[in-house]
Amino acid sequence: MRDRTTIPLEKLTTSISVNLAEDMQEQGKEFITLKINGQEYEFSVGSRLGQVAPCETLSRTLRDRLNLTGSKESCGQGACGCCTVIMDGDAVTSCMLLTVECAGKEITTIEGLRDPVTGKLSDIQQAFIDYYAFQCGYCTPGIIMTSKALLDKNPNSSKEEIAEALAGNYCRCISQYHVIDAVKHVAEAQRGN
Amino acid sequence: MPAYPEYRYIGKNTQRMDAVDIVTGKTTFLDDFRLPKMLCGKALRSPHAHAMIKRIDAGAAKMVKGVHAVLTYKEVPQSWRVGWPLYRPFMDAKLAYVGDIVALVAADTEEIADEAIDLIEVEYEVLQPVFTALESLAPGAPQVYETLPGNAVPPGYPPFQPHGAFWQIKRGDIKEGFEKAAYIAEDTIHFNKMCPPLSPEPPGAIVRWDGGNNYTVWATTQSNYILKVLNSASMLDANLRIMTFNTGGSYGNKQALVGDVVPAALLSRVTNRPVKFFLSKTLQLGTHETRLGATIQAKIGMDKDGRVCVVQGAWLLDSGAYSDSIQGQVGVGLGEMQLVTSKCKYWDFDTNIAITNKIPAGIVRGYGGQELNSCLGLLIARAMKAGNFDPIECYKKNYVQPGDRYQWRDGLWWECKGSHDYPQAMEESARKFGWKDKWKGWGVPTSVNGRKVTGVGAGIIGNADVGEDNTEAYVKIVPDLGRSDGSKVVVQVDITESGMGQRTNVAKMAAEILDVDMSLVQVTDPDTLSNPTGFGLCGSRGTICYGEAVTKATLDVKSKLLEMASRKLNLPAEELDTREGYVYVKADPEKRVNWKGLWEPDLTIMGYGKHIEQFSTPNFCIFIVEVEVDLDTGLTKILKIVSGTDAGQIIDPKTLEMQMQGGIGAACVDTALYEEHIVDLPTGRLMTTNLIDYKWRPFNEFPAFDTVVLQSQIKNASNHFNAVGVGEISGAAGASAVLMAISNAIGEEVAEYPATPDVVLKAIAKKSAAVATAKKGGC
Repeated sequence: MRDRTTIPLEKLTTSISVNLAEDMQEQGKEFITLKINGQEYEFSVGSRLGQVAPCETLSRTLRDRLNLTGSKESCGQGACGCCTVIMDGDAVTSCMLLTVECAGKEITTIEGLRDPVTGKLSDIQQAFIDYYAFQCGYCTPGIIMTSKALLDKNPNSSKEEIAEALAGNYCRCISQYHVIDAVKHVAEAQRGN
Repeated sequence: MPAYPEYRYIGKNTQRMDAVDIVTGKTTFLDDFRLPKMLCGKALRSPHAHAMIKRIDAGAAKMVKGVHAVLTYKEVPQSWRVGWPLYRPFMDAKLAYVGDIVALVAADTEEIADEAIDLIEVEYEVLQPVFTALESLAPGAPQVYETLPGNAVPPGYPPFQPHGAFWQIKRGDIKEGFEKAAYIAEDTIHFNKMCPPLSPEPPGAIVRWDGGNNYTVWATTQSNYILKVLNSASMLDANLRIMTFNTGGSYGNKQALVGDVVPAALLSRVTNRPVKFFLSKTLQLGTHETRLGATIQAKIGMDKDGRVCVVQGAWLLDSGAYSDSIQGQVGVGLGEMQLVTSKCKYWDFDTNIAITNKIPAGIVRGYGGQELNSCLGLLIARAMKAGNFDPIECYKKNYVQPGDRYQWRDGLWWECKGSHDYPQAMEESARKFGWKDKWKGWGVPTSVNGRKVTGVGAGIIGNADVGEDNTEAYVKIVPDLGRSDGSKVVVQVDITESGMGQRTNVAKMAAEILDVDMSLVQVTDPDTLSNPTGFGLCGSRGTICYGEAVTKATLDVKSKLLEMASRKLNLPAEELDTREGYVYVKADPEKRVNWKGLWEPDLTIMGYGKHIEQFSTPNFCIFIVEVEVDLDTGLTKILKIVSGTDAGQIIDPKTLEMQMQGGIGAACVDTALYEEHIVDLPTGRLMTTNLIDYKWRPFNEFPAFDTVVLQSQIKNASNHFNAVGVGEISGAAGASAVLMAISNAIGEEVAEYPATPDVVLKAIAKKSAAVATAKKGGC
């Protein structure tokens, strides 16, 4: 028995990623560019030391290469939402995406929510503090990113819609009641404005 | 109602000190941390539940580029042992569960380690496994360890029971007890699905061998000191320094982490490099410690007034392949059992612990008491039903009150000096729930709406472990170099933040006593070397144990400040007080002296406080629940929960409220509905090793939740603010309450965990058959 009793993620994704890498090669591309928290990063793709391997997940790229460790890799199977980031407006689980698939995409992580100049917290981050919407805090970055993507798309989200949107985010300390209050507050404040 | 003291911070919501870091992703957890030259440690694990390694060849694995060490049991000291008493080598030719460690690899990357693991050749002799505690203790069962004849784990846990083992309660003449009983309940009840509390952050450790017997450990534990104690025993007198970052949830379940610390230490020792051993979610679910399995075969009697008056029977515990403290859980479980049946004088109650070929059972929120309560609660309910008692009224008569005596986990007798107001907490919780309107009697639904029926149930539990283990703290006043006339307050304690907010709460206590702004108070990082002793926050001990140590240390340093100012101002210390870094004259607050200047520049003054273990202040929680059952599908939904307690004094309302809500998580309430580890019996493999197959409650399925928290100012809490900790037990009586509610909703008793739709449908069918038979008989 190895680490994974299910099909290893790398083996499952290798064929897809190798195809992508081959496509890139055919098109004469050796690099991919991702825009992360407003900044462009160019990565060399390949299997040599230092290169982004075709099987590398976005979660690993963010955490291990860019030290953006705010989002967590908890289940590695897209089931817990701890690794959630926003890609082109959608909340996505970064452990289920290959970095090579994300070429040209715009990605926001928890580190990108705060105003980079003033340091002011985003409304949603402030609401999580004001409503005591976390306990251990391990799942919090993912929950905040899912909530942010929801409110960006639908500022009029109801309590039920918020709970539905967060159904893929695991929280075992049970901060759900406080989280929903915090997100509802932001939605209401946005409506008020 | 008592008049509550008015405080500056205590009892008021305070922003947690790490709040901004948490919402910005800046907080460090173990997996975010790297050491130079750190290697990745991984394990080849047994595919068999019970086997012997006949041949193992790691030659090819060792040749893989980037592999720094491969260890099999042959290279690992057999004197490094686990279990209590240390009954098996950490790694051995004998494998006792699917996931038991066959070989260890340290490599430059995870991928290289995986490749090496695939190249290790092993030939196994597969042995007959045993998967249930009952079968394990039966004559002729496969023997798991030679050191444990008959698979029976000996009773007694010296760290808890220095005066002798405590594993059974025998009091009075049982026959006489049953003669006094008006109502009897007897059955065998299982709570043995060995659910994982399943913290979001998996277990793991980084270990750096520092030469000799010295190791530095960074771990995901919630308790540095417990990790140190248990691993020092397993690693044969190792000298361990333990440090933590924030811990991503534990629920009592990330404590000793022997399964992570020992492999990392073994690999670090041979590679002379730091090694990280961090489990995936699959391995957390598939190999990390679970709740213990509990079965009770018991007969209880209740007197005509509704008091449990006699208990006879045995508690059978399934420890899985090994456990390093299950005898401690026996002690606490027996203790908690006496708290909810505090008037019972006749006892003949035994315990037996069995080894099985399943993953190890470990420490989990609830710590034996919850597992036992989930079984016992159903028998008490059956006796209450026989006497047609209202459960709330019955619980009020049975729960421990000041003056009652009980034997705690140490086997010694303790007299309750806790709250007088627990019956009031029950009443107020019932009122808030609307119990009077919703309770229609035993086996009677609260409402019937077509094929949907609702029902209500309630459970109680309490724990005197809130005063467990000696604890100490320093509170120091140090110069604030940022402000020429300023000082800072440093609370020096060993507390890991794993979600309870207690690091902030001890800062609040110090700020309250010294009357300073919270921003002036710092709490030292969790570290066994630089902090005084503290067992972490398990057992809800933070409020009493750390609370007493920190408040005494703060009062100590405060008295030193006042004495020094007294000499300077030439006034008696009693006429002085302190606020915002000044000592002032109470009668003339304008007359004041800065702390800085009371003693030599750049130096520190320090107060010391300690808490000495006591078990006389049990806490309490009532859990009242309403469920809706679909009679066609058998699906149960929780509609409403009220959780009630008396906290003595609330330290932080919102964090306490979340601790109460936390009783829904961590394999508590939902062990009654759908949480279970499912073992594939022919192979012993768990089928629930990912977050899809293991069931958990998502955001959009949370019921209405309310709390009742009394503040009766419990003097014996001895922490200056008269507060007791509550969190651990908030959901511990939830599972039995849910089964009671389902039974009332459908009119047929359900006594099987979890009550999945098939279990509920079976009960409904049983009732229908009984009704049909009765009708037939009537014709």
